[in-house]
Amino acid sequence: MVSRQVDWVPKISDWGLYIHIPFCQARCTYCDFNTVTAMGVEDHPQYVEAILAEWEGAQIPDGTLVSVFFGGGTPSLLHPDWVAKILARVARRTAWAQTVEVTLEANPGTLTADRLSGYRAAGVNRLSIGAQALQPHHLIALNRIHGPGDIVSAMAEARAAGFANVSFDAIYGLPGQTWQEWQATVQGLLQMRPDHLSLYQLQVETGTPLAEGIKQGQWALPAADLTAEMAVWAEETLPQQGFQRYEISNFCRPGHSSRHNTLYWTLNPYLGLGAGAHSFGAGRRWWNARGVRRYQAAALAGDAPAAGEERLSLDEEMRQYVWLGLRMSAGIDPQRFFERFAYPVAVFEQAFDELSALGLLDRQHDAIRLTARGRDLANVVARRLLDAEVKILDIGNCRTV
Amino acid sequence: MEQSRIRNFSIIAHIDHGKSTLADRLIEVTGTLSKRDMAPQVLDSMDLERERGITIKAQAVRIDYPHEGMAYQLNLIDTPGHVDFTYEVSRALQACEGALLVVDAVQGVEAQTLANLYLALEHDLTVIPVINKIDLPNADPERVIEELIEIGIDGTDAVLVSAKQGIGIDRVLEKIVAFVPKPSGDPQAPLRALIFDSRFDTYKGVLVYIRVVDGSVGVGDPIRFMATRKDFTVTEIGVFRPHATPVDRLHTGEVGFVAASIKSVQDTRVGDTLTRSDNPAREALPGYRPAQPMVYSGLYPVDSGDYVRLREALEKLQLNDAALTFEPETSVALGFGFRAGFLGLLHLEVIQERLEREYDLSLITTAPNVVYQVTRVGGGVLRIDNPAMLPAAGEILTIEEPVVQAHIITPTDYIGAVMELAQERRGTYVELSYLDPRRAMLTYRLPLGEIMYDFFDQLKSRTRGYASFDYQLAGLEPSDLVRMDVLINGETVDALSTIVHRQKAYYRGRGLVEKLRELIPRQLFEVPIQAALGGRVIARETVKAMRKDVLAKCYGGDITRKRKLLEKQKEGKRRMKSVGNVEIPQEAFMAVLRVGEKE
Repeated sequence: MVSRQVDWVPKISDWGLYIHIPFCQARCTYCDFNTVTAMGVEDHPQYVEAILAEWEGAQIPDGTLVSVFFGGGTPSLLHPDWVAKILARVARRTAWAQTVEVTLEANPGTLTADRLSGYRAAGVNRLSIGAQALQPHHLIALNRIHGPGDIVSAMAEARAAGFANVSFDAIYGLPGQTWQEWQATVQGLLQMRPDHLSLYQLQVETGTPLAEGIKQGQWALPAADLTAEMAVWAEETLPQQGFQRYEISNFCRPGHSSRHNTLYWTLNPYLGLGAGAHSFGAGRRWWNARGVRRYQAAALAGDAPAAGEERLSLDEEMRQYVWLGLRMSAGIDPQRFFERFAYPVAVFEQAFDELSALGLLDRQHDAIRLTARGRDLANVVARRLLDAEVKILDIGNCRTV
Repeated sequence: MEQSRIRNFSIIAHIDHGKSTLADRLIEVTGTLSKRDMAPQVLDSMDLERERGITIKAQAVRIDYPHEGMAYQLNLIDTPGHVDFTYEVSRALQACEGALLVVDAVQGVEAQTLANLYLALEHDLTVIPVINKIDLPNADPERVIEELIEIGIDGTDAVLVSAKQGIGIDRVLEKIVAFVPKPSGDPQAPLRALIFDSRFDTYKGVLVYIRVVDGSVGVGDPIRFMATRKDFTVTEIGVFRPHATPVDRLHTGEVGFVAASIKSVQDTRVGDTLTRSDNPAREALPGYRPAQPMVYSGLYPVDSGDYVRLREALEKLQLNDAALTFEPETSVALGFGFRAGFLGLLHLEVIQERLEREYDLSLITTAPNVVYQVTRVGGGVLRIDNPAMLPAAGEILTIEEPVVQAHIITPTDYIGAVMELAQERRGTYVELSYLDPRRAMLTYRLPLGEIMYDFFDQLKSRTRGYASFDYQLAGLEPSDLVRMDVLINGETVDALSTIVHRQKAYYRGRGLVEKLRELIPRQLFEVPIQAALGGRVIARETVKAMRKDVLAKCYGGDITRKRKLLEKQKEGKRRMKSVGNVEIPQEAFMAVLRVGEKE
């Protein structure tokens, strides 16, 4: 049975701010995201200046800022003073409230008690720690810069510094990963009493050292069935430990869902600052130049650093709202859909019928959700909805929604 | 040119023994083409020919050769080397009086050497042995001479040559003049010219390659193709040097081409006789038979909207390929397509590649099959070129399948392995003879259907690459054959039906369903794959239901990327054929060819 509990739902106009910190000490084997390892702390001041310049020039969305997220890269390489400076400037242009969720992604290999206190003092109130695995050989193979011990101490120091909301990331389906290792990772992380867990299946992106190593036969992924079993086990175990699955890959103790990620799934506006950062609002998606130097040059010259954009038609926005929203356990609220688009969600009737017939979708009058099977096969659902026909129904049908 | 100073010859060789290099050198040494204009494999003009190092179309080059104060005209007729084109080769040889038999000084006599030699002898050609690559450090001409003697050629007469280094080329030319007989034929008789190939030229229409046997032909002459009974008027006559060069007439014994505003090679069949329509010859030259496809395969567009484009592309290819046949066909599984007939598997591959490369078509090709002859209970003979069309077992009196006579030359160490392979493929032992103490020739009768796919690969792998293989068709033989159907998710997929020997059905069925299980991706539900004989299931595998298909992290709100990834996946699924709710990838329809292959 799908949990009916709704942890947190943004208002339609609530928005988030994403700040990309691309610096890393080393590149993880699976990573194909926008990161640089060749820059050091001496490059930070200019980068922060660029972010502030971009922020000052940015058009701030209407509505309430509910989340600030420092993502990376490795944001925990940035000195707390810089984080404080950025947050202060953000507060100056917004109706800043204490309730804003301020998350910083952290690598356990970069954290100290001092630094954590510094971040907390700067206004960060949520930590997302990239743990990934608890076995040294996996961490080494992934080219992580930390060991299992660093994860334990990072958590202890985070609590000591006053962080009441801490999340771990972990990955299943690692090359050579066994069932026991995965269980040990999840159980070990639970023992550290986090408030939130993100469990991701390893994605092999082309061009990464991981993809290359697999091609060369250096590593082998576990069998598809074993990887599926790992997920199933975690999905069954975590609710028994007081965690609810509020999104396909995300679990939290009540009241601790990630607001920032939720904004993505609910198609709320967000503004992205920094190299390669993505933004969305008013039917438009746009993204910044990926290269740090190019981004900096543009931002510091007072130009918009955007490198590309995509305008969504209303139909396309409705489709994305549905296939993204279905990732949430709460599903889609037809009332909310109607409020937002002035069309009933029944415009997707045909696709919904097909997906229900396949046992992937559960339609109630107050919510449309994925079934358990649908959550396992969320891509099948998304692919069906990706270019689903939007069928405007007559008034008679509208009223029944 | 006086008949006595014309020499028509071809070069025959096993693949890679240096046929094309020797031809290049003859053209170069005689100054037919300047060094500047030379490119390797001058005679192979199709991209595919150069890429694969094979000759698909025949060519004819006129070489002027002054010798001892006399001017000679040498016509080199280059033939395709592959067994698929045996009939074409036989017509090209028919146009010659002599042949250079090229043998590699390291490799020695191989199966194709032998098959081509037999063909040459059948046509009563004078054979001049040439041992090539004598410059190689491990060349052993002495041993090759012994082997030549063993196959009935006086090897002591062989010219020792390095085509690559240009050694011995003059000697080859001298021998051609001295030993290849002058063309016989009556200059006063009505025109008779043998067609040994033709190709389509966008500007001139079909160029018909001919060897004038009797009489002569000139521009403006009214001509007739005796088998197809089509009349035309000659618009151009020429020879290849090796570029097309116009001449006024082709006389008795000469070789060249004729253009006559002919729209399609379908009118100009290889082996047919060209004569004058106002003074026709009484009898055609012997040996003509219409091109007979040996291998059939279904060609279906992946995107059903491409059906018309596929038909147009096939029609265009047919303008230049009289051996290609096709007829519309409907498959329950694949929709509208064509059943196309080919001379052999190489021919099929070439056509398939050209359709995809030159016409940008994405195709599903069903597993190729041979043609079966079925005699029905109560009389009547059917020609079955599609396994799905085989009548029910109760209606069949006999089924006959094409068989070949195959020669396999192998080091003696591997005789056992070769015999084992031939047995597995239902071969009947004919003969074993020794070329020298270390090499033997095995002769087997084998069903064509058994050697079509991977026989040669298997032969190579079981003999560490040392064995060579060639064959000739040897008629039809009755056999205990049955149709094996494949059911996917309970539905018979007609495009996967094959005809197999009853005793091997179980083994083939197992292999096929296993291969299909590997090739068919997991679906939303469990998919049973069954092989069946007349409704009785003989093998079963299951593609398990897909467990997980989820995208995880959404890095920094990059939804665009996520959407593109999903779109790409969706595109990949579109390229599959949906049969009874199951998405089947293109390659699965060729699975039967890959049975036994490891993943």
